[in-house]
Amino acid sequence: MSVKIGEAPYKERITKGIENDFMREAVSSAQGRFRAGRLTRAEELGNWEDWRQLGEEIRTHTLENIDFYLQQLSDAVSEKGGNVYFAETAEDANHYIQNVVKKKNAKKVVKAKSMVTEEIGLNDAIKDLGVEVVESDLGEWILQLDEEAPSHIVTPALHKNKKQIRETFTKKRGYDQSDDPEELAAFARKELRKDFLAADVGITGCNFAIAESGAITLVTNEGNAEMVTTLPDTVVTVMGMERIVPTWEEMEVLVSLLTRSAVGQKLTSYITAYGGARLEDEIDGPDDYHLVIVDNGRSKILGTEFQAALHCIRCASCINVCPVYRHVGGHAYNSIYPGPIGAVITPLLDGYDDHQELPYASTLCGACTEACPVKIPLHEMLIRHRQILVERENKAPMSEKILMNGFAKWSSSPAAYKISTKLARPALTPWIKDKDRIENGPGPLKGWTDVRDFPAPSKKSFRAWFKERESDSHEHSK
Amino acid sequence: MKVSLFITCLSDMFFTDVGKNTVEILERAGCEVDFPASQTCCGQPAFNSGYLKEAKQSMKQMMRSFRDSEYVVGPSGSCVGMLKEYPKIFAGDSEWEEAAKDLADKSYEITQFLVDVLGITDVGSTFKGRVTYHPSCHMTRILGVKDQPRTLLQHVKGVELIELPVAEDCCGFGGTFAVKNADISREMVKEKSRHVSETGADYLVGGDMGCLMNIGGRMRREGKQVEVVHITEILNTH
Amino acid sequence: MSIQNRESFLNNLAGRLHRPRRTQGVSRPDWSVYPQYDVLKGITQDELVEVLEKQCEAIHTDFIHTDRKGLPKLLEETIRNYNGKSMIVSNDSRNEEYGLSGLYKDLDRDLNVHIWDPRLGKGNQVIAEQADVGITFSDITLAESATVTLFNNKNNGRSISLLPKTYIAIIPKSTLVPRMTQAANQIHEATMKGEEVASYVSFISGPSNSADIEMNLIVGVHGPIKATYILVD
Repeated sequence: MSVKIGEAPYKERITKGIENDFMREAVSSAQGRFRAGRLTRAEELGNWEDWRQLGEEIRTHTLENIDFYLQQLSDAVSEKGGNVYFAETAEDANHYIQNVVKKKNAKKVVKAKSMVTEEIGLNDAIKDLGVEVVESDLGEWILQLDEEAPSHIVTPALHKNKKQIRETFTKKRGYDQSDDPEELAAFARKELRKDFLAADVGITGCNFAIAESGAITLVTNEGNAEMVTTLPDTVVTVMGMERIVPTWEEMEVLVSLLTRSAVGQKLTSYITAYGGARLEDEIDGPDDYHLVIVDNGRSKILGTEFQAALHCIRCASCINVCPVYRHVGGHAYNSIYPGPIGAVITPLLDGYDDHQELPYASTLCGACTEACPVKIPLHEMLIRHRQILVERENKAPMSEKILMNGFAKWSSSPAAYKISTKLARPALTPWIKDKDRIENGPGPLKGWTDVRDFPAPSKKSFRAWFKERESDSHEHSK
Repeated sequence: MKVSLFITCLSDMFFTDVGKNTVEILERAGCEVDFPASQTCCGQPAFNSGYLKEAKQSMKQMMRSFRDSEYVVGPSGSCVGMLKEYPKIFAGDSEWEEAAKDLADKSYEITQFLVDVLGITDVGSTFKGRVTYHPSCHMTRILGVKDQPRTLLQHVKGVELIELPVAEDCCGFGGTFAVKNADISREMVKEKSRHVSETGADYLVGGDMGCLMNIGGRMRREGKQVEVVHITEILNTH
Repeated sequence: MSIQNRESFLNNLAGRLHRPRRTQGVSRPDWSVYPQYDVLKGITQDELVEVLEKQCEAIHTDFIHTDRKGLPKLLEETIRNYNGKSMIVSNDSRNEEYGLSGLYKDLDRDLNVHIWDPRLGKGNQVIAEQADVGITFSDITLAESATVTLFNNKNNGRSISLLPKTYIAIIPKSTLVPRMTQAANQIHEATMKGEEVASYVSFISGPSNSADIEMNLIVGVHGPIKATYILVD
């Protein structure tokens, strides 16, 4: 897998999403719960806007000094007996990790949930070596068995129901119990426990790397990341280069923002800080540790007007409030990063060619921007993308360009504008029904009137009324 | 107090009553209302579609039109919200920067103007009916006007205000989105229409005709009886 | 250990930021706000206990409050309630201090009690994996989120709190602080002074759980299925 997850065209993906009743219900109810949880947690704190302010300041400072902090981090990890590899591309990262796996003669690799490893397609790279790779997050494991892409960055299997999950377990793993979530999870526990114990290499992502001490922070609920970092003798952390904080104190603030925003919890069940090789006489943890820091297109965003997109802490609260996401689901975005943040970063990481519709998959309602715990101006970035698509990428349809050119002429000329207020109704008269509505509009109106009525223009414009009223009152005063 | 009305192109051409009601409310509140006739559109349709150059042309026209105004008041959170973005858009443009800031600073949405500037929470109107309020996205999130419309509605005699479920959700209008992503827009407005029905209200009230035209158009297509009204209509009924 | 490909990578970042590379002299600015210090500010240790107890409910964790005298008895009860036949315990000096060494010896007569032993190597993990109960002390306890903080080390392997079916944390009241802020602050200070911080710090809030299947909360996934906190005055 890479950033892009499929080949189906945009319209087809949208239709498929809209027609998937189960998915829509699941997403809708999940959004309801996420929202309620996030709001309760925010309210409890009482000064949520201060928290967001602090979150933004921390992210801004860190990204502005990212070269310094990555240097500090790599020095600290190295001092703790870890190897650090800076990977400019997905291929670089995969190649390095393949070598680690080969050197260990590994038969089995276990992974904890990590979006960046999805992004670089690491699983395929490991499988190419003939080595088994097992996803251990419950949601990721379900998707792996089904060979599907995640549809959400926090709850990746949100689009699947328990019946489908039971079927998958039965078909792929000989499961013979009910579709009760507790039973399904108990089965996963039993199966995956064997994998944890047998694995030669563990691979995790990274929520926040702490520069001052070289610790990698993981935020989870299931305990799988702890297994992955405790049991195998070789552990690899893969981190997107921007997932870094200066000290433990900033880590704490961002974790507080993350767990509240992502799942409405004060803290998740496990917040783990690890990194480097185990110390003398320690038994748990690796004796061979690697940190792989991945660029893969991120540095192209640095120093641009989109830099704040790198502030993202992957909480998915923008996804959880997005009405567009609710109706089309994650797969419609055709990116492992769906929703508003996905619509912003996917074209940045993977180019506009395959993703030019994404910036338009938003009403610009601003719910994402309002929800973001680090105040990324998401909807403004979507507008900026649209500007680039029009001006630089030249991807806007000709009809739209003509329309907008007309708009500029119309709206910058009071005379032209005034005439239009008189002509709008006569021009639309053939389509007007019941004197006040249009059911089957012409041209661009069709998309509108296919699903709702359009109002007929007034017989007399406001400006005409106002002018009459003014002259009446002048008459009167005379 | 002298107030210039920013009518918005939608109300100028389609919903003229909104303008009339706004004028009358302001006059009753003791304002002297003028209407700079050279005003056109705030530029949002082009700006939100990515046509910055085109949008700027209409924005400049707006700045010229309202140059001499003391206050600019409009019956739309979204369009006034657009004016508030001008300073960002013209930042660094020595010719227009100041005018952009000036217009943004003196522009208000009607309920915001009544409550925040004039200090009025009761306009003295009477309107009988069960009413539910849709807080439009740009009004609340771009302009930051959240409580003012509710405050005013609560003081109208005869109004029974019923909370709209998940009121803060977008109705699916989004300007060109409604046409460009018609399928998604349809699903969004269907959901909004369902939420409005759930309230059992006779009237859906809002402060943005774009959204109301969308929700109302959908409800009419579905044969629903709920009447859609701009907040100024309720505030101007006696 | 090795650091590969760093110079070109970081030079590129500096270039993208349109400035020379920063290799030193960067420090955190004063932030404009510090809301984290306002949470549970100025409340007493007893009030923190109440906060902790209440939050335990939210995270599906049993909470017991006792004193040193009552601890051995209540701990034994908890173990028996968990139907614990075998258990693994950290090799912590506080076992003696809190009168638990004797209890473990007694329990070892009819149950299987293993005290973490570095000399046993990976054998510790095998025992932990089979154990019904894992028992550790909390090093710092966060009231707001009902979190026990463990500085894992050679005598206190993280397997103890992770692999057994159930987990019991013994919380000395003196370890109680308002929230993660204070724990992070302590660790930061220690790091600044060049003191050795544990190679693995765990912040554990109750049993493991997941909401990955239809957003239903399932308590008990990979880590322990049940958890009890025993707060000791």
